Amino acid sequence: MDETEFAAYADEAWPTLVRAAVFLGCTLPDAEDAAQATLVKCFRSWTKVTGADNREAYVYRMLVNTVRDSHRRPWRRERSSADVPEHDRQRSHDPHVAVEVTDAVHRALSGLSKVNRDVVVLRYFVQLTEAQTAAALDVAPGTVKSRLSRALAQLATDHHLADLTGRTSS
Amino acid sequence: MTDLERLWDDVPVGPAPTDRILRAARREQRAWRRPLLRSSGTVLALGALAAAFVAGTSVTGGPGGRGGTPGAGGGGGDVAEFSGALVAAGSCEALLEHYVAAGQELVGPWGWEQQWPVMARAGGAALRDLTLQRGGFAADQAKVTRATSSDTGTNVQEAGVDEPDLVKTDGEVLYRYADGRLTSYDVTGPEVERIGSVALAGTADAEILLAGDTVVVVGDDRVQTVDVSDPAAMEPRTRVDLTSPVVTARQHGDDLRLVISTGLPELDFVQPNRRRGVTTAEAQRRNRALVADTTIADWLPRASVDRGPEEQLSDCADVAIPSTTAPLGTTTVLGFGADDVAAWDVTAIAADASTTYSSTDHLYLATSSGWGWDGWGCATCTSRVVPTAGDGTTQVFDLELDGTGTRYAGAGRVDGAVRDRWAMDEVDGVLRLALSPTSETGRGNAVVTLRRDGDELLEVGRLDDIAPGEDITAVRWFDDLAVLVTFRQVDPLHTIDLSEPATPAMLGELKIPGFSSYLHPLGERRLLGVGEGPVPARGGRTSWGAQAGLFDVTDLTDVRRLDTVDYAPGSRAGVASDPRQLAWLPGIRTVVTVVAHGRTGHVSVLRLADGRMSNELVLAERGSDVDAVRLVPLAGDRVVLVTEDDASYLDVRPPSGPRDRATD
Repeated sequence: MDETEFAAYADEAWPTLVRAAVFLGCTLPDAEDAAQATLVKCFRSWTKVTGADNREAYVYRMLVNTVRDSHRRPWRRERSSADVPEHDRQRSHDPHVAVEVTDAVHRALSGLSKVNRDVVVLRYFVQLTEAQTAAALDVAPGTVKSRLSRALAQLATDHHLADLTGRTSS
Repeated sequence: MTDLERLWDDVPVGPAPTDRILRAARREQRAWRRPLLRSSGTVLALGALAAAFVAGTSVTGGPGGRGGTPGAGGGGGDVAEFSGALVAAGSCEALLEHYVAAGQELVGPWGWEQQWPVMARAGGAALRDLTLQRGGFAADQAKVTRATSSDTGTNVQEAGVDEPDLVKTDGEVLYRYADGRLTSYDVTGPEVERIGSVALAGTADAEILLAGDTVVVVGDDRVQTVDVSDPAAMEPRTRVDLTSPVVTARQHGDDLRLVISTGLPELDFVQPNRRRGVTTAEAQRRNRALVADTTIADWLPRASVDRGPEEQLSDCADVAIPSTTAPLGTTTVLGFGADDVAAWDVTAIAADASTTYSSTDHLYLATSSGWGWDGWGCATCTSRVVPTAGDGTTQVFDLELDGTGTRYAGAGRVDGAVRDRWAMDEVDGVLRLALSPTSETGRGNAVVTLRRDGDELLEVGRLDDIAPGEDITAVRWFDDLAVLVTFRQVDPLHTIDLSEPATPAMLGELKIPGFSSYLHPLGERRLLGVGEGPVPARGGRTSWGAQAGLFDVTDLTDVRRLDTVDYAPGSRAGVASDPRQLAWLPGIRTVVTVVAHGRTGHVSVLRLADGRMSNELVLAERGSDVDAVRLVPLAGDRVVLVTEDDASYLDVRPPSGPRDRATD
């Protein structure tokens, strides 16, 4: 199996996967774990999923499921990424900044329902196509369109209120 | 949004730990290749998943059945006759010609224009110059009347018209739908007892309707009926898959109707590309050609019954084409009896008119003026002026209900935008609309009354200039009265007399900080408003959070707020975005409603007495979907609290004796 191709993909997809996991509700360390677990899972089925369209939808579907599962039960030791001991993890960022940013994101998105948030993260931020988003979330493409506009409308509302009320809008 | 976009970039992401990933993956693979018996489950599951994936991604937007004749599965009802504002297409060629012509005008160099909804932002100081017309009408003609849940336990808009929900009950058995599973509970005993459950292959995102012995599961693109004559052995019956999403559904007795919205087809549009020599003009030309090449299957929804062959829902010839400009798309009303889904009645209009309001005998479909505002509406949308893809007017189509079918009754057009279904109401043949301003109107909101004359809906009365510069956030209609809440920074609650349709008149207004997103009438004298407002925070400061207000509406010219309940800073009232997260128990004068804070959901038990409200919070849900929490009222002043995992009685008995609080 072509590890070089996979490695190149992992390098390229990593930042967006981590950001997406944060926007889906994870703390930064959990997001990194989720992104890692997702890529490991994809490695297994790499040869089965060939076309670029399929791959993106598949990868993000794995990510959404991983994030959702991690919220339902405590992070299990079986997950491959958890095999790495804490001190090995390179902290290339200031943990305080990380918490500030992720808190702000979670506050901003807290008004959205789960599905609406999933759609806006994948379609608007990750910029998957409508078809890829629909495949990743197992919904109809029309649903993606309607939920996206709903979500964007709600976000505009929250932002608007923040403007008006002087709440910190970050 | 730009703040969020900045936050996206600000997330501190290090380099990919690719080596570590490869090591972990190789380790897994080695474990995986050991005894096939242990790991074969995983192998098969992955294979199936990936295979389903590869197959699944080709399903979107492919050309389905060509031609226009529906198969034997659908139809059977009378065809609606159209006239005036709507004209039957007469043939597939004529219908396709309409779609292509309108589509070519709409397509630009990048594809369909205005792909993203345009968000107008607030700006400038709040200047309110409300012109009030204090009418000399006897206020006792206009009255607030109590609203209660439907017979199946859902807090609906119109009495007698049921709506889908996650939970339904007939008073003895309660049905809950979650994550692809329908579960039944006995709610006659001292404890809620689970009876049975059935898994339904399908999207987790669905709601149910209850009609006699049938539960109808309505998903985004799928309908599944389940025979529940024996709640211990529920049996799936018929399944209908659709190629376009179901926007909403309504139930009248045993007749069900779905509104299906087919948007613009996803075509392989080109974009201007200087490097490749594709100019803007060339891109537009190519995109117009793509539109010209579409077939009727790209524009009309299709259905397949029990995984049978896909058939077009409507006969092309019967699809109604608007005589004047209307947003492009197709809106289909599919009506059927719960016991025989496949024998459906169809009415289709070649316009995007999916904002649906149903009274007990009419279905009204309104076009959305703004691109992207869909059928569900957005109760707290706050663009100053609703952006228009069209001409700043709204067309309303009036369909008379006839068994499981509908008969075209008429159409009308008004200046302004109908934000969502709550902005429409019909009483005694008079259609009332609460209109928001558009680029074509003045800055104020309006209440307009219309009556049908022949096949035209004509304006008979109008009240203009309501709260210019403010957004309508909530509307409640009564026989002779409308209560309207607008918001800029302060919440004027307006009462409008509708006893004389030709002359709607402003009765009074109340200014309070914050706003109500949801109004619930409790009786002639009391109205509950739930929304947001300034709430006390630690250290004596003021913050912003969910809020409930009790209003005295005995004198409609002088509405007063009697009491408020402030929730924690940063909390939000679930009912603001979903009316089904509230139930009113008149017998014990108690309101139960969901208040969320982050990912924790509480039920707020509001007890009303002597013009005051007391609040008690009961923990309901943590971590999972707080939006899925439901409160179902039953006879005997009981309430069932339904969360994603469980259904149980909620103890709402008033604390007896000295502060006897229920435990969390």
